[in-house]
Amino acid sequence: MTTQRMYDDLGSPLTAAEFRSITDAVVGNIEQVIEGKTATVRLALAVMLAEGHLLIEDVPGVGKTKLAKALARSIDCSVRRIQFTPDLLPSDVTGVSVYNQESRDFEFKPGAVFANIVVGDEINRASPKTQSALLECMEERQVTVDGVTYPLQTPFMVIATQNPIEMEGTYPLPEAQRDRFTARIAMGYPDPAAELAMLDAHGAHDPLQDMRPVADATIVRRLIATVRDVHVADMVKQYAVGLVTATREAPDLRLGASPRSTLQMLRTARVVAALDGRDYVLPDDLQSLAVPVLAHRIIPTAEAQLARRTTDQILADIITRLPLPTDRQRSPYDTRQRPQQANPTNPYDRRGY
Amino acid sequence: MTQRRHITLVAAGATILAALPLATVFERWTWIVGVIITVGLMTGVAVLLRTVRAPMWAPTVGMFVTYAVALTLIFGNNALLGVIPTPATFTGFNSLLEEAGIAIRDSGVPVDDERGLLFLAAFGIGAVLISVDIAAVVARRPAIAGLPMVAIYIVAVGTNSESVNFLSFIATAAAFLWLLATDNVDRVRRFGRRFTGDGRDVDVWEPSPLAAAGRRLAVIGVIGAVLLPMALPGMTTGLLDRFGSGVGTGGNGPGNGGGGRSGQVNLFSILSGTLERDKIYNMIKVTTNDPAPFYVRFGVAEDLRANGFVNRAWGTGTPLNDLKPLPAAPAGVKNLNFHAAVEIITFDASFLPIFETPTKVEGLDARQWQFDRRSNVLYSTRTSSKNKRYEFDYTRQEFTPEALRTAAALPENSPQQAFRTLPQPELGPVKEKAAELTAGKTNQYDKVRAIFEYFTNGKNGFEYTTQTTAGNSGSAIVDFLTNKKGYCEQYAAAMGWLVRAAGFPARVAFGFTRGNSTNTGTYTLQNKNLHAWTEVYFEGFGWVPFDATPASFVEGTVPSAWAPDPNQASQPATAPGENGAAGPAPGPSGSAATGDQRFGEGDDGAATTTPEQLQEKSNWLVYVLIAVAVALIVLVLPAVRRAIDRRRRWRSAAATVGSPSAARVDSGGIEVSGTPGRRSRREAHAAWDELIDTMIDYRVPVDATETPRVTAARLIRERSLATTAADGATLLGRAEERARYAREPLTGTDLAPALREVRSALRGRVSTRTRLMATFFPPSVIMRWRARTSTGYTSAVNAVAVRRDAALRTVNPRRLLSRRPADKRPGSR
Repeated sequence: MTTQRMYDDLGSPLTAAEFRSITDAVVGNIEQVIEGKTATVRLALAVMLAEGHLLIEDVPGVGKTKLAKALARSIDCSVRRIQFTPDLLPSDVTGVSVYNQESRDFEFKPGAVFANIVVGDEINRASPKTQSALLECMEERQVTVDGVTYPLQTPFMVIATQNPIEMEGTYPLPEAQRDRFTARIAMGYPDPAAELAMLDAHGAHDPLQDMRPVADATIVRRLIATVRDVHVADMVKQYAVGLVTATREAPDLRLGASPRSTLQMLRTARVVAALDGRDYVLPDDLQSLAVPVLAHRIIPTAEAQLARRTTDQILADIITRLPLPTDRQRSPYDTRQRPQQANPTNPYDRRGY
Repeated sequence: MTQRRHITLVAAGATILAALPLATVFERWTWIVGVIITVGLMTGVAVLLRTVRAPMWAPTVGMFVTYAVALTLIFGNNALLGVIPTPATFTGFNSLLEEAGIAIRDSGVPVDDERGLLFLAAFGIGAVLISVDIAAVVARRPAIAGLPMVAIYIVAVGTNSESVNFLSFIATAAAFLWLLATDNVDRVRRFGRRFTGDGRDVDVWEPSPLAAAGRRLAVIGVIGAVLLPMALPGMTTGLLDRFGSGVGTGGNGPGNGGGGRSGQVNLFSILSGTLERDKIYNMIKVTTNDPAPFYVRFGVAEDLRANGFVNRAWGTGTPLNDLKPLPAAPAGVKNLNFHAAVEIITFDASFLPIFETPTKVEGLDARQWQFDRRSNVLYSTRTSSKNKRYEFDYTRQEFTPEALRTAAALPENSPQQAFRTLPQPELGPVKEKAAELTAGKTNQYDKVRAIFEYFTNGKNGFEYTTQTTAGNSGSAIVDFLTNKKGYCEQYAAAMGWLVRAAGFPARVAFGFTRGNSTNTGTYTLQNKNLHAWTEVYFEGFGWVPFDATPASFVEGTVPSAWAPDPNQASQPATAPGENGAAGPAPGPSGSAATGDQRFGEGDDGAATTTPEQLQEKSNWLVYVLIAVAVALIVLVLPAVRRAIDRRRRWRSAAATVGSPSAARVDSGGIEVSGTPGRRSRREAHAAWDELIDTMIDYRVPVDATETPRVTAARLIRERSLATTAADGATLLGRAEERARYAREPLTGTDLAPALREVRSALRGRVSTRTRLMATFFPPSVIMRWRARTSTGYTSAVNAVAVRRDAALRTVNPRRLLSRRPADKRPGSR
C-alpha cells in the first residue's frame, strides 16, 4: 500500500541526459570530500536511488561518517543524525508520546527517523534493543507508537556506520537488522595519492562545510522514478534468482540470502545500470553487486569459518561457478579451468582489515 | 569354528557328488564303497579336529594320516593291526597302481572292478578331497576347489570315446555350485543378519538385492558362451556341420598327434579348421615324376555314424620293410609306377601324406612308422610328421569305366562288408535319394557314377561354400541335400553315405588336391589345397576314388577317366585332365605335365593373370578406393560442418546493414518489437556463437559463467589483441550483450568484419598444429558432437532404466507379498 502511494508521489521520470548530469553532479560533489573512492560513492548513491539503506563498515578513521554526511549534504532534504551510544533508547529513535497539558492529550513527538536521510553513527554501539527500533521504519517506512502508525517521508534512507564487530564495546547487529540494509560497503584505505590530496584539502578547514546541495528530495524522487524503468531481461532475473538460490544451497553457508535480498539486489542493479548509462541490466551488474548486497546477510558454517573463508570469498566462488542462464541453444562448452581459490577483484571490496 | 565344520562337511559332500561321473567309467558301483569309506573317515577326522579347535594345520595333517589309514584298511597288506601302513603296504600300493596302469591300457570302458582300479579311484578321490578341503576350508577360496573337481570329470570324459552323459556334468557343476553357495552364505552371515529394506529378515534361499548383480552376470555369461562360438569362424562349421565333422569322437583335439591312441584324430576338424584359416601357407612340397599325379592322401574316415563319417583307429601295421608291389592289375586297369619325394613344411600329425599305393619307402625310421593296408595310411604311434623328408615308390592305378562295370558283387564274408553299414535308424530321404539316383542302372559302376554326377553336374545346382547354413530337418546330410551348399567334406561324406545307402562299400579319404604345379613336377601344397573325396570299393579292383566336389569350385582337382567332370563332356574321356579353371595357369610352358600344356594353349601360356584374377584385382582396388573415400569423407566431415556453420553465421551477421533505428540508450519504456529488432538480435547471436566457436578452435578457454562483456575483455587481455581486433571483440561482446539483455539490440552495425578481424588475429597467434587442428578437426564441432552423443546415450539409458523398472515393478512378486496397501507405497505415488 505504502509503496503504491509512494510511487504515485514520485513524479515524472527524467531523460537520460538529465539523469546523467544530476548523478554526476552528486558524485562529483561527494568526491570533493572523499578522495579516490568513486566506486564506493556511486554505490552509496545507487543504494539511495534503490530506496535502500546503507551500512558502511570499516575500521575507525577511514571516512565512514564523512561519506554519510557528504551524501546527506549533497541532497537538499531533511537530515537527522543519531549517535548510537550504549544508553540510547528506542524512543530516542522512533519518537515518543508526551502528555500535553494544554490539550490534555498525548502528543507524538517524532524521533530522529522522521527525516529523508538518517545517519546512524556507530550503530553497533547501541544495545540490540535500540537497534531493533529501526526494524519497522527501515522495512515498512513507518513508525508505530502507542498503536498509531506514522508514515515516513520519501525518500527515506538510513546510512549507518559501524566498526567491525570484532571491536570492543559493540553489539553485533541482529540478522533481521542486517537483512534490512541493502548493501554493506567498506571504505578501505585511500591510495597514497588520494591521501596526499586529502592532506591538502582537509589541511585548513573541513571541506564538508563548503558543500552545497546539488539536488533536492523532489529530484531524488524523480531519479527513483527513472531507474524503475530500467529494463531487466528474464534471463537476468533468472540469474539473480540463481545467485541467491546458490547461496542457500552452498555447503559453506549456514544461512543463505533472503528473498528480500533478491529484490534489493535487482533494484540496486537497475540503478547501477542507469548510472552506467544503460537502460538495461546486465548480469555483470549483479555479479559486481553480489558481495556488497549479499555478503552481510549470509552466515558461513563453522567449518568454513575455521577454514578462514570469508563470506566475500564464498560469494566470489559462487559467481565463478554459476553459469549464466540462456534462452537459446548455445555451444555446450565450458573449457575454462577454474581457479581453486577465487581472489575477489570487486571494486567495492576494499575493506582495510 | 562351526562354520568351518559346516564347510568341511559340504566339501566332502561336494567331492562325493563330483566323483559320480566316474560311474561312467566303471561297470558296477563297487568303486564308490571304497571312495565313501575313505572320504567319510577323512571328513570325520577333520570335523572332529575342527570341533575341538585344533590348530589350523591339524585337520589337514589329520586328513593325510586318515587317508593313508583308510587306504590301508581297504586295500593294504602287511599292515600293523590292520590299519597302520608299513613300507610293505606302500610297495603293495605301488603294485596296485601298476596293475591299474595295465588295466587302463588293456581294457576299454566301462571297466570291470579290478582291484587296482578300485584302489586308484579311492586314492584319487581322497587326494581330491584333500585339495578341496585345503582350498575351501583352510584357504577359504572355494573357487579354486573347482579345479580338482573338474579333474574327476575330465577323467570320465577322457576315457570314454563317446561323450559322457550330460548328467555327469550336472553332478560336477552342482557340487561346485553347492560349495560356492555355502561359502558365500557363510561369508554374508559373518557380517550379521541379512534383511530387506523393509526391515524383514531375508532367508537363505531368498534372493537378496545383491543377487540381481549375480543374475545379470550369469545371464551375460551364458549369452556370451552361446554367442562366442557362433562368432568364431572355426567353430561355426563345427557346430553346424555335424554330419561332416564327426564331432564327439572324444576330447582329442585335432592336433593330438603323437599320443598312444592312434587314429583318434579327427580328420574332419583338421581339414575344416585349416581350410577356414584366413592366412594361406605352405604345408608340404611334393616332387614326383608322375606326369598326371592324383591327390596326395594322408587319412581316411571309415565308419559311418548317425552324425557322419568318423575315422577309426588304424588297423594292423605293416612294417615299412615289408611293403610289396601291388599284384598284377586286372584287365582294364593300368598299374603305373612312379617315384615321389615329400618334404613336410607345416604339417603336424601322426600320419604322412603319400601317393597311393606306396611300394617302397625311404628316409623314415622303420621302427616308428608303419603302413596300414586296410586304410592305406602311413602312420606312427610314437612320433609326428613334423619336418620329415622322405621318398617313396608308388603305383598309381588307372581304371576304365568298362573294366569297372564288370566288377562282381561283394561276397558275404568279405571284410569290406563293414564299409556298407549305415547308421540306424536309416534316414528315409537319403535312402529315397539313393534309390532315385540309381534307378534303372544295372551294375555297381553305373550306380556309383550316377550318384557322382548328381553332385558334380552343374545342372543340379550344388554350390561350394565353407560357410554352410543349418537346415531344420534335424539331420545334417538331409540339410545338405536340400540346401545344396557345402564344401569338400560334405560332398565327400554325402556321396559316401549315398553310395552306402545304395549298398556299396564307401569311405571318405583326406589329402591335398594337386594345387599349382610348377614346371618341374614339384607341387607346393597349401592349406587351401586340403581336400576330401570319396572312395568306393569295387570287388576285384579295390578302392576307387571319386571326387564329388564340383570341380569348378576347387583349385587343382583331377578328373579321371572313371569319374570325368560331367560339365566338360567335350574333353577326351580317356586322358586324365586337369581342371584349372579357378587357378592361375602355369607360367611359361615346357612343363612335364601334359594337362598343363594342354590347358596352357588356351591363353597362350603368357598371360600371368586370368580374367577372374583381373576381375578380383580390380574389385579389390575398387573396395580400397571406396574405403579410402569413406575414410576421407569421415575425416573431412568435422571441417565441412565447421565451414558450413561459419558461412551461415557470417552471412547472417552481415545480412543487414543500415536500417538504423533510433538507438535509444535513454529510458523511456518504448518496446521496440518487430522485424528489424529480432533480426539484429539473431545477427548478434550468430556472430557471438561464431566467436565462441572460433575461440574454442583456437584453444581460448570458454567459460559459461562469464558475461559477453567479460569474455570479450578476457579475450583481448589473454591474447593481447591489437586495436582493430580488440575493438571488434568489444563490439561483438556489446552486440551480444544488448541482444540478450537490452530492450532493443544493437542495429545498423555490420558484425562480419569484426568477426573476421578477431578470427584472423586469433589465428595469427596460435601454433601451426593448433591452426591445422582448427581447420581439419575443429574442436568446437568435435566437442559438440561428443556432447550430443553422450547426452543421447544417457537419455537412452535412462529411458531404458525407467521402462525396466516399470516392468520389474509390474512383474515383481514381492508386490503381492507387501503387507502395506499398494497405494501407500512411496514408489506408486
